[in-house]
Amino acid sequence: MKLEIDESRCKGCNLCTMVCPYKIYRPGSRPNRRGIYVPDLDQPERCPNCRLQGLYGRRLCGVCALICPDQAIRWVPEKPFEPMKVVIEY
Amino acid sequence: MRDDWLREDRLPHIYCAGCGNGTIMNCVLEAVEKTGWDQKKTIFISGIGCSSRAPGYILTDSLHTTHGRAIAFATGVKMANPSLHVVVFTGDGDLAAIGGNHFIHACRRNIDITVVCMNNHIYGMTGGQGSPTTPIGKTSTTTPYGADEAPFDLAELAMAAGANYVARWTSFHVKQLTDSVLTGLNTPGFSLIEVRCQCPTSYGRRNKYREPVDYMTYLKSHAVLKEKWERSAAPGTELPVDSFLVGEFVRRQRPVMGVPDEA
Repeated sequence: MKLEIDESRCKGCNLCTMVCPYKIYRPGSRPNRRGIYVPDLDQPERCPNCRLQGLYGRRLCGVCALICPDQAIRWVPEKPFEPMKVVIEY
Repeated sequence: MRDDWLREDRLPHIYCAGCGNGTIMNCVLEAVEKTGWDQKKTIFISGIGCSSRAPGYILTDSLHTTHGRAIAFATGVKMANPSLHVVVFTGDGDLAAIGGNHFIHACRRNIDITVVCMNNHIYGMTGGQGSPTTPIGKTSTTTPYGADEAPFDLAELAMAAGANYVARWTSFHVKQLTDSVLTGLNTPGFSLIEVRCQCPTSYGRRNKYREPVDYMTYLKSHAVLKEKWERSAAPGTELPVDSFLVGEFVRRQRPVMGVPDEA
C-alpha cells in the first residue's frame, strides 16, 4: 500500500499535518499549478497502514483519509515485490 | 470503499479549504458502507445550507429540499416506503432555527431516520449570520458586539423530545464519529448525531480561528468525554466555560414509527 495525495482535489488546509500521529505530512513549500500548497509526504513508509495492513488484514489508523475534507488522500495498492533473476555473465 | 458512494465527476466539492463538512461526509459514508446497505435503497435528504450540499456528492437518490424542511420530507419518504433507509444531512440553522418544530416533532414521533447535524455555529453560506447555536460572546455579522443569547444544546433538546439515540462528536473525533453514526444507522427510531465542526471562512475569520487547524485544536482541547466527566468530576460541579461534552448521550428503546414489519 502506498499513500497518495490527489493534487486535483487537495485545497491545502493542512489538517492532515495536524492529525497524523507519525507526522508523515509536512506543510507544502511551493504552490502547484492552481496556486495551492499541497502537503508533502515525508517518509511515507512510516505509515502503519502501508506497513502492516497485510499483516493484520484490515485497515489500520486511516485518520488522515477520514479527516481530509476534500477526499484527496487515499491508499493505492502496490505490486508485491518480485525478486528479479539476475544473470551473471562471465 | 467510500469512493463507491461518491460522485467522482462532481468532486472537488465547493466547500472552502478546511471545511468540516467534507470530513463529516467521509465519516457518514464510511459508516453507511459498513452497514452494507444497497445504494438503491438508501436516500440522503438535506435542506438548505453548506451542509446540505453533501447529498449532491453522493451516488444515491437524494432530495435537496426547502430550508428547514429536510426532516419533514424525510418523514414523508419514510412513511411512504418504510423499507428505504433515510439519512438526513442538516446544518444548525436548518435544524435548530427554521426547522426546529419539525425536529422536535420527529423526535417525539420517533421516526426511523438518522439525522447528522453539522453544527458550525453560524449560517456559513449566506455570509455568517448568527444562528441559534452561536456561543455567547462570539461575533458574527448579525451579532457584531458578540452574541448575548444562550445557544441551543441540540443533543439535550433531542433527548428531552424523546429521540432513541443521541450522540455528539466533533469533526476532530473521526473514528468515534464513524462508530457513532454506524450505531445511529442501526438503531430503530430517531437518531441524532450532532457534529461540531469548523467554519474557517465565516465563523473562524471573525473569532480568531482563521486557520482550520486553529479550530481543530480548540475542538480537541475543549471536548470533554461525557463518561469521563461523569466518572471523575465531583457532583455538582459545572463544566468549564467554553468546554462541551462529547459522547453518547442516550440510547433507548422507545416505541418507534416507520419501521417495516419484516424487520
